Amino acid sequence: MKQLFTQLTNRQAGLSVLFCVLFAPFLSAQLRVSGKVTDATDGSALIGATIKEKGGANGSISDYDGNYTITVASPEAVLTLTYTGFEDLDVPVNGRTQIDVSMKQSQTLIEQVVVVGYGTQKKSDLTGAVGTIKAKDIERIPTASIEQALQGKIAGVYVSPASGEPGRGAVIRIRGTGTLNNASPLYVVDGMLLEDASFVNPQDVASIEVLKDASATAIYGNRGANGVIIITTKRGQEGRPAVISFSSYYGQQQIAKKLSLDNASEFAQMYNELKGNNYFPDPSALGEGTDWFDVVFRDAPIASAQIGANGVWKKLNYNLSGSYFNQQGIMEKTGFDRYTGRFNGEYPVLKNLKVGTNLAYSNEKRKSVGGGVLASAYRMPPVFAERDSTGDFTDPTFFGQSIANPAADLFYKSDQTTRVNRLVGTVYADVTLFKNFVFRSNYGFDRRDERFRYFEPAFEVSSSQLNKTERTTRDTTKERTWLWENTVTYNKSWDDLRLTVLAGQSAQEYTYKKRNTINDTLQPNGENIREWAMISYLFRANAVFFERYLVTASLRTDGSSKFSKNNRWGYFPSVAVGWNVAQEQFMSHQKIFDRLKLRASWGITGNDKTQDYPSLGIISDELYAAFGDTVQSGATLVNYANAGVRWETTRQTDLGVEFAVFSGRLSAEVDWYNRFTYDILGDLPIPDYVGSGSNPVVNAAQVRNTGWDITLQWRETKNKITYNVGAIFSPVKNEVVKLNQGKSEIFDGITAQNDFATRTTAGLPIGTFYGYQVAGVFQNAEELATLPKFGGEKPGDLRFADLNGDGILSDKDRTNLGSPIPTLTYGFTAGMELFGFDAAIDFFGVKGNKVANIKAVARFDTPNWETLWYDGHWTGEGTSNTVPRVTNGGHNYRMSDFLVEDGSFFRLRSVVLGYSLPKRWAAGVAMSKARIYVSGTNLWTKQSYSGFTPEFPNERIFEAGIDKLNYPMSKTILFGLDVIF
Amino acid sequence: MLNSLKINIKNIKRMSTPVKSLIAVAVLLLTATNCKKDFLDRKPPGELTFEEFFKTPEQAEEAVNAVYEQFRSFDCVGLGYLGLTDIISDDSDKGSTTNDQPPLADIDNFLLEPSNSYFSAVYKGYFRAIARANVAIQNIPNVEMDQQKRDRLVGECKFLRAHSYLLLVQWFGDLPLITKTLQVEEYYAQTRQPREVIYAQIEADLTDAIAALPEKDAYTQTSDIGRASKGSAKGLLAKLYMLKKDYANAEKYCLEIINSGKYSLLPKYADNFKKVGENGAESVFEFQAVALKTQQAAGPGSSPYNMIQGVRGVPNLGWGFNRPSDDLVASYENGDPRREATVIYELETLPDGVTKVQHNADVVNARYNQKAWVPGHPGLQDNGPGNIRIIRYSDILLLAAEALNENGKPADALIYLNQVRKRARGTNQIILPDVTITDQSQLREKIYRERRSELAMEQQRWFDLLRWGRAAQVMTAVGKTNFTPGKHELMPIPQTEVDLTDGSIFQNPGY
Repeated sequence: MKQLFTQLTNRQAGLSVLFCVLFAPFLSAQLRVSGKVTDATDGSALIGATIKEKGGANGSISDYDGNYTITVASPEAVLTLTYTGFEDLDVPVNGRTQIDVSMKQSQTLIEQVVVVGYGTQKKSDLTGAVGTIKAKDIERIPTASIEQALQGKIAGVYVSPASGEPGRGAVIRIRGTGTLNNASPLYVVDGMLLEDASFVNPQDVASIEVLKDASATAIYGNRGANGVIIITTKRGQEGRPAVISFSSYYGQQQIAKKLSLDNASEFAQMYNELKGNNYFPDPSALGEGTDWFDVVFRDAPIASAQIGANGVWKKLNYNLSGSYFNQQGIMEKTGFDRYTGRFNGEYPVLKNLKVGTNLAYSNEKRKSVGGGVLASAYRMPPVFAERDSTGDFTDPTFFGQSIANPAADLFYKSDQTTRVNRLVGTVYADVTLFKNFVFRSNYGFDRRDERFRYFEPAFEVSSSQLNKTERTTRDTTKERTWLWENTVTYNKSWDDLRLTVLAGQSAQEYTYKKRNTINDTLQPNGENIREWAMISYLFRANAVFFERYLVTASLRTDGSSKFSKNNRWGYFPSVAVGWNVAQEQFMSHQKIFDRLKLRASWGITGNDKTQDYPSLGIISDELYAAFGDTVQSGATLVNYANAGVRWETTRQTDLGVEFAVFSGRLSAEVDWYNRFTYDILGDLPIPDYVGSGSNPVVNAAQVRNTGWDITLQWRETKNKITYNVGAIFSPVKNEVVKLNQGKSEIFDGITAQNDFATRTTAGLPIGTFYGYQVAGVFQNAEELATLPKFGGEKPGDLRFADLNGDGILSDKDRTNLGSPIPTLTYGFTAGMELFGFDAAIDFFGVKGNKVANIKAVARFDTPNWETLWYDGHWTGEGTSNTVPRVTNGGHNYRMSDFLVEDGSFFRLRSVVLGYSLPKRWAAGVAMSKARIYVSGTNLWTKQSYSGFTPEFPNERIFEAGIDKLNYPMSKTILFGLDVIF
Repeated sequence: MLNSLKINIKNIKRMSTPVKSLIAVAVLLLTATNCKKDFLDRKPPGELTFEEFFKTPEQAEEAVNAVYEQFRSFDCVGLGYLGLTDIISDDSDKGSTTNDQPPLADIDNFLLEPSNSYFSAVYKGYFRAIARANVAIQNIPNVEMDQQKRDRLVGECKFLRAHSYLLLVQWFGDLPLITKTLQVEEYYAQTRQPREVIYAQIEADLTDAIAALPEKDAYTQTSDIGRASKGSAKGLLAKLYMLKKDYANAEKYCLEIINSGKYSLLPKYADNFKKVGENGAESVFEFQAVALKTQQAAGPGSSPYNMIQGVRGVPNLGWGFNRPSDDLVASYENGDPRREATVIYELETLPDGVTKVQHNADVVNARYNQKAWVPGHPGLQDNGPGNIRIIRYSDILLLAAEALNENGKPADALIYLNQVRKRARGTNQIILPDVTITDQSQLREKIYRERRSELAMEQQRWFDLLRWGRAAQVMTAVGKTNFTPGKHELMPIPQTEVDLTDGSIFQNPGY
């Protein structure tokens, strides 16, 4: 971390010189001192070191060659030199006018400041588990979103892309899966509490903090249970009126991994075998046929440009930036572009009053295609061409297929655009009330307008792929959130005690309005309005005794409109202690530990992410009854509610140790945690006899996640080479402790064959796959007669294991087929800087999870088969004992381990190679920095799964790991340029 | 609260001194606390919650209308319904193209897996209807309104609940008995009740309905046409008694309908299935559908019933499922005009007298259910306007004949049997001569055959076969060799239901 921080500031320090030269005020002199500042290790010039007269107002900054000039009040003055990453140095002038100084790199870690809820803390004072990523790590490897920037970077944070579709977010799990419901963390962007951060341009980010344990998250009360991601955007740097930066990249993307389907001759052979005839007289003559994935996928460009300026100008601290991002999809006719603009400003109006704002505007446009083109491409038999002999799109219905021709859908259903306009911001005032008392009032808002427009012309490809009359569908969604928070912070230091106390109040309101029209006619149930509100009170005290004993206690109470009066208010306390062992007297003589801290925390957080009105039975209307030739309005209770529902609660214990050894080169942070979540919210499947139109939200279960967050980092600068190697490991064990409502199991993940794919039960991870175990393939009539079976099987069908040994097969023979939740996620990073070159490489992997290929069992027609159903399939006695005969639905498509595969993967997530022009050259063209780079993303993945990449975006926990066919991931190569003036 | 917060924001921004701010904070906190009750009480704007509903007579009626609405749904009268009434029987085959709807072919061929989606479709569809009926039955009595109308509304719901349970019990046997809106803690706690308990509930509901409902002709307003009447409830009750082999009671209720003078046979058999026959003199009960909308989306009064069974190809009227079987076509007496009124053949001119059905190479040996044919109407196929006939007067006449014969009154039975034959015969005196046999078992055969010819493709056949104990015999005869006696008389309980209840809703024998 130290080096990282050094480099960050280093670069920016360099820029400032130019402005100092230009803008530094001319001062009358009593003594002019000049000299050169160098690095003690190698004698190289230090650019941008700050030189100040101690106790005086004068200051200067060293230039490109390390030279400085400063005017001091008297010959007895003392110069104070500071430079980030180096030890501060006081040099008495003693009447000299030429003072060359060499500075020593700081061997103790720099006091890193970490953003926590409602404040900041020195890293060494933290009692909680907080992971941090700084701007440099985000800037170096270009990403389109905050989530991507987080993947594989922080122990305990699991990021799975929501989809390969441009502009889609990601599913984030912090410390395992603690709920059956929405397990996404809370986002706090510059003090605004949000459910996503998709509007944030990653280049605007100064730091991302991930709050993991209860000591850190409890201050966010009933929204803290799944972790909190705090995003802080950039501010101007003191002493620099304007730093102007420009960066841009361009690249190409390609599907990361295709999945293998039968070609035309294979399909024809399968079809003939299925039907027991020669529908296709000569399958081999059909050759490859049409690869429908080739029809729908393409190589696509990606590009980004961003320009920004920041600094402190006439006391106004500002950051101004604009960006444009354009990503064409690897699926035809899909794409995404986004403009963002940001203004952050802070101005000291009075000595004791600061006002400021953080405003972010984003404008997104997403192009998409309707009609399930990907599913059609997956299903469409390869024996068809895109178009028939007359040039029309091929109609596959003569073959008894209702599958839509994907080429025709791409043509007719691609006039689909979603535009999102969003303005998110905060306005705040900081008032120093009395000595040590700071009052802050922060008003935040989020205005999001989404407009979806879909024009579908009249067309007819087949009787099931047609549109009789052209139509324009329009959905407009307006979301509005406001948040108002008022806090008072009391800060005071005594000799042996530093104390920070925070108290505050918060209120938030959210409204959602959606309107759906077709050809400008409002549709039935075409208007939907929802809202929620929350009121909270918060309190926290941090105390540091003797600079080494740390205590934190916090309490938040939340009232949420989502629950009925009796269940509305909740209290979320936490306590934590820390011990900076290295600060102890008895440690002062040891040479091993540069830093050693132990900490422990306990606390309670909540999760209220559920429907907006789970406790209210809402009357459904527009249930028209026909009588005679009229319709009469109808309305009743269709979807049942649960008046007794309350939020879910997580109790978390965390034990952590942080240390640095080998002169700070090796640092490590290891946490053990135990998260116990009860009253878990979930809309569990209920029996059909209940008759409810939907599943009410219930407090369904108790789940425990125990695991380790391990972070190791080696950083060193040696012989002008700076390099770092890091690793994170996050083993986690997910276990259902108990199901409520007297249930012993929850079935979910229904397949197209009407099987449940998952079962959740005490003692196993949530959503464990459940089904039959394949024991082989029935080879002949004799085996059918003697071995356990259901009754409908024929030779060549999968033979399942009779696990209960009763001699027949039944639903009692199902068993656990593995967990969709990885037991280990891990990442490796390495970086190096040498002679202006920089290189970095990131790996990311997961282990111990299974995935289920459920997309393969949807067989309503006779769609194509994946090659795993073709390769080595049973065609007669003795031909296969693993792959069944050709069938189309039914027995062989029951939920079994034939459909379950290993979900582990190990990926070269990114690799980047950059070159920065030597500073002198850059300065020659008025730049303080110029870097060009090439980077690759997802270039290589090791996986055994037969489908696309085994990451599925199902927000629904019971369906995690179920492959329903999602927009696949792409691999990308980009070329980019970063310039700072 | 919202307003007060906004005002406070302005105030605070105007404050310049720290002390004032501090006071503002104190005031704010106080305000927030005081009005937090209002601020946190939220309900969806523009919508009613259950607590606000069932306050007016209009709402009571809307709640009843919402029960009827469910019977136009895909789950209640779609592929599953047709599959488990006609297609499963000897009257019809799956239809459509060979590869279309494998689960329906499985039903046709008695490859009945508990995971077949059509078992859960009808199970879910009718239990949802029961749930809507329960909501109305429980809450309407508390609405302040005209007593008679209130009783009528509750009576309609009891009829609809009885209709749902009668279908379910014939398909699945023992069932959970749900007569009120279940609460969260009761969701998984229900068990299968013996079918006698279900019968008793149906009987009680229909007895109540008969007392509360007006005769058909008392529904004078257009907007009431098609509501359940006293006759509807008696007809359904007669069907229950037939199922229970309580022929005395079956006779009683059939004769009450017949003697009420409210019903008569239409002169032309085929008119029953045309627009002109909807809610006609012969209609005892039918679910109403209407095509009101010309837009692309199905209108608010339509059903999928016509589309599913419509001619597939040219003219493109639908999907072509539920194909009248060879066995059915061969089963009619010589010259019985009801065959032509029941079956659409390729190259036949449709009842509109104009459109000719073209040969469709995709559909092997195409035939379609003429009783589900509808003439041109606003909107597309899915905007089906045809009423779904549930009880026709001729059905009641034949049940009367059957009951009377079982009760040893063959002469009386012959009266009603021959009424049905006479009408079918029309003006052609050569065909369908009056039956004169009085031997009980021979007459029984005559009545059974008449029921098939009269009610073919009207979703009656499978239940008749079950009731007569002839499913095994008939299925074997038509070559449905997968039929297993002792197993296939009951459908499997949907596997999802067994799984979700930890087996307290256990599977039927043999599945």
